[in-house]
Amino acid sequence: MKALGAAAAVTVAGAMLAGCAGGPGGGGGKISGGKVVLAVLNDQSGIYSQLSGQGSVKAVQLAVADYKAKYGAKAVAKKIDVVSADHQNKPDIANSKAQELYDRRQADVILDVPTSSAALAVANVAKARKKVFFDVSAATTALEGAQCNKYTFHYGYNSYMLANGTGSTVTHDGARNWYIVYPDYAFGQDMNKSFTAAVRGAGGTVVKSDPAPFPNDNFSSFLLKAPTLNPKPQVLGAMQAGGDLVNLVKQYNEYKLRDKGIGLAVGLMFLTDIHSLGPDALAGTKFTDPWYWNADATNRAWADRFQAAAGKRPTFANAANYSAALQYLEALQRAGTDRSDAVVARLEGAKVDDAFARGGTIRAADHLLTHDVSLAQVKPGKDVTEPWDYEKVLSTVPAAQAFQPASPTCRLG
Amino acid sequence: MIISRLAARPIPLLTGLLIALILPWMIYPPVALDIACWALFAAAVDLLLGFTGLLPFGHAAFWGGSAYVTGLIALHAGLPFPVAVLGGAAAAALLAVPIGYLSARLRGIYFAMVTLAFAQVVYFVANQWRGLTGGENGLQGIPRDLFGIDLSDPFFFYYAGLPFVLAGLLAAWRVVRSPFGRVLVAVRDNPARAQALGYPVARYKLLAFVLSAGLSGLAGGLFAIGHGFASLDEVYWTTSGQVVMMVVLGGIGTLWGGAFGAALIVELNDYLATAGFQEIGLVTGTIFVIIVLVFRRGVWGTVRDALRARAARAVPAPGPDPGTPHDETPGTPTAPADEVPTRPAR
Amino acid sequence: MLQQAFNGLVGGAFYALLALGLSVIFGMLGVVNFAHGSFYMLGAFGAYVLLDSFGVDFWVALAAVPLVLGVAGVAVERLFVRRLTGLDPLYGFLFTFGLALILQDAVKHEYGVQSQPYPRPPALSGSLDLGLFDYPAYQVFVLVVSVLVCAATWLLLTRTRIGVIVRAATERPELTRALGIDVGRWVAPVFGFGIALAGLAGVLAAPMRAVNPLMGADLIITVFAVVVIGGLGSIFGSVAAGFGIGLVSALGNLYVPALSQTLVFIVMAAVLLWRPAGLFGREEAAL
Repeated sequence: MKALGAAAAVTVAGAMLAGCAGGPGGGGGKISGGKVVLAVLNDQSGIYSQLSGQGSVKAVQLAVADYKAKYGAKAVAKKIDVVSADHQNKPDIANSKAQELYDRRQADVILDVPTSSAALAVANVAKARKKVFFDVSAATTALEGAQCNKYTFHYGYNSYMLANGTGSTVTHDGARNWYIVYPDYAFGQDMNKSFTAAVRGAGGTVVKSDPAPFPNDNFSSFLLKAPTLNPKPQVLGAMQAGGDLVNLVKQYNEYKLRDKGIGLAVGLMFLTDIHSLGPDALAGTKFTDPWYWNADATNRAWADRFQAAAGKRPTFANAANYSAALQYLEALQRAGTDRSDAVVARLEGAKVDDAFARGGTIRAADHLLTHDVSLAQVKPGKDVTEPWDYEKVLSTVPAAQAFQPASPTCRLG
Repeated sequence: MIISRLAARPIPLLTGLLIALILPWMIYPPVALDIACWALFAAAVDLLLGFTGLLPFGHAAFWGGSAYVTGLIALHAGLPFPVAVLGGAAAAALLAVPIGYLSARLRGIYFAMVTLAFAQVVYFVANQWRGLTGGENGLQGIPRDLFGIDLSDPFFFYYAGLPFVLAGLLAAWRVVRSPFGRVLVAVRDNPARAQALGYPVARYKLLAFVLSAGLSGLAGGLFAIGHGFASLDEVYWTTSGQVVMMVVLGGIGTLWGGAFGAALIVELNDYLATAGFQEIGLVTGTIFVIIVLVFRRGVWGTVRDALRARAARAVPAPGPDPGTPHDETPGTPTAPADEVPTRPAR
Repeated sequence: MLQQAFNGLVGGAFYALLALGLSVIFGMLGVVNFAHGSFYMLGAFGAYVLLDSFGVDFWVALAAVPLVLGVAGVAVERLFVRRLTGLDPLYGFLFTFGLALILQDAVKHEYGVQSQPYPRPPALSGSLDLGLFDYPAYQVFVLVVSVLVCAATWLLLTRTRIGVIVRAATERPELTRALGIDVGRWVAPVFGFGIALAGLAGVLAAPMRAVNPLMGADLIITVFAVVVIGGLGSIFGSVAAGFGIGLVSALGNLYVPALSQTLVFIVMAAVLLWRPAGLFGREEAAL
């Protein structure tokens, strides 16, 4: 009765205001509303706009073009729109924008969503609206852990992968004593936990880990403290991202910690961070990279296409958004419809091998994409041969070792 | 008394009510709810700015504080949303007692800066007390339970929430029309005189502060339920700044003007964000600066004065001239409180 | 510990420069300049743009940027703030709030929010042996400049005729007007001077801190607390509170990191309970 009343009212509202009330597409067609809408929800003006932002919208458009070229007249989705919205890295804005995208702009899938808190907010909306969500740029493992749900996928990287790659490699290489400084919010705490576990797992010790305010532009107290700790740390683990990372690295160099025998390891680094600091500020720093544009011919070919469209080299987040959009469309093609449940069923367990992911699998148990990742090192400025060519890939971590096993806390339901 | 007063000006009142009722038919319903919440918040701030002469620059503490308390009650106690919202409002009023005690003794710019600083403390506490508030994850998935009725559609929830906003606005209106409200105006215009007349000025200011905080809390709690979310943004100083902008845009001391300011800013934000323009402050800041420099009576105040001037030309001798309240003895019982100068006392 | 105290003083140098400008402006106009943080940000961006687009180095920027911003400040006063004289000073506060939004978002529109790199000047890139510990030379420079500027301002205000008029108008505005001194002439220059100080702080910050459009917004709230602690309009108070708060929050950061951002506001609440007009302010101004 209630539901009937609600439906009637929605119809009335819809009739009064065509186009405004976006009720659930109840039509008999295979594609709701006659078109597929891919929505990129990310930071378009803030600190993460460079590493993903509009570039990822361009990347998703490349995926749409590839899908159309591949299937031509046989494509299930004849008309595909790519829309985007800015969540300013704020969870409450992400929450209302996600609702708006699904309801008002009839999005079938939301992609990207950097910032862990915002990603978790959108995952909640996806669950309530029963619509697909691919998180690409957020690091939190909660997306495939305690807060996982049937409609949410985590695609590209996570804090476990970063910590496991960087933390254990650097420790194995001989830097056994760590001093970790992390930004005091969900992402940083998550990174601290993951890194501590990875360092200990590799036989190292975390001498101390300190929360730093977020955002923060003065890290001097931590940098001064580092050489006085006992035992003296051999490596400073910086878990900051974006502008905070830039500040910390600047000040790390000012206090000449490297000369004092304390190396630098960075938890999460994007190509754009190296670009804004300059390679010399970071030269030699090791970190885990899910994808590097100049790692091999396949990546480079895609990076060239991206550069033609966006005017710069892609970050791994750009490439991962491309891949996520492509895999969504492929699953939709296999399902023959854009109904969420059918697409999700085709995504679960899918093997992924494209310009972004090698040896990839979308795990059915927790909806995490596992794939091969790289351990990389920042080149010194003198070794940089062309613009944006900042990284040297040291080794490949195979998918099975790069990511954590599926968490028992995840109930997809 | 209330009824007769309300009945005395039926047309604007009915128009306002009608707009409130049809709003979600005209615009995207979640935006309509945002406008309603901000309108109440703006009226609550105007209670201080327009009628007590205090510029509060830290009311985010009450709006956001209530958002968190409301969310916690709804999430953990599983109580229906009206109870949660009222609980949030009560908590905001309670929080206002110590803050008000420390700041309401000050005047002018001191008051503004000190309330701003206290709001920052609330912000940092909310940020640090992660176990309770979720830190920058915020409180997510706040339910909007009302005895099992499904309110998940924002269109319906607007109507469930509207009575709270209307009740809050009525309360604010009632306060400024009461003898208490007149004393506030007297305090605003000449604190020394009010003190000399035997009014306990500090206590009146504190009471106004607490009332304003409670109404802000009502608005903030409803906002949190409407969004299913309480975040650090709600307690951040930009929220305090935004509501002051709304009040000034609408017209200081007009009480209803804030609703115009709220509608303008919320709609503008929605429109510009949808159009892909990110630097909203460029637009709202410019409008705001023009209002401050040229139209200090605000949109509502300017329009109202223009209408009255026309009416005065059409019908001679309209009784006391509302345009020149400056000369009147402050707090004269015959002067309707919303027609005293739009200029807060220093 | 000693080193951390030194850090605190360097942080305090920025508070002091900003608080000094705010206080001078407040004293002369009765207006608390919310856009002060934006001018600080513009100072840093000015240095960045000069270097990035014109190859103009730090030393030139250090002189040119505050000068240009000071002139801009004079223009803002003449064109806008002046229109608000005679009204409640809260309108000045509101105007500058709007101005802050505009400036911040205009820069954001042009450069985005990511931090822009600004190298420290080569001459100051090393570190100095201060006897007990090594310290980055640039930080020492910032501290020295700040102390010198504060001292020079103090001398200017106490030892020159202009200064005496301004100081009288700042600390005893009613009395000065009553004595028939034409304060109006000095309003715009003083406003410009305060803005120039903010710009100077911004240029000094560029090589040390992230240059981005939001760098002033959060800082200004802390500086507000600093001037309230020192006493609004008290020139000595704002400088003393600036360095003092820098010291206290740096040491607080060492012992109770969780409180590092709240500490200044807690100090402020305590000061207000004890002396509502701030440590060096006049009671009648606040109550």
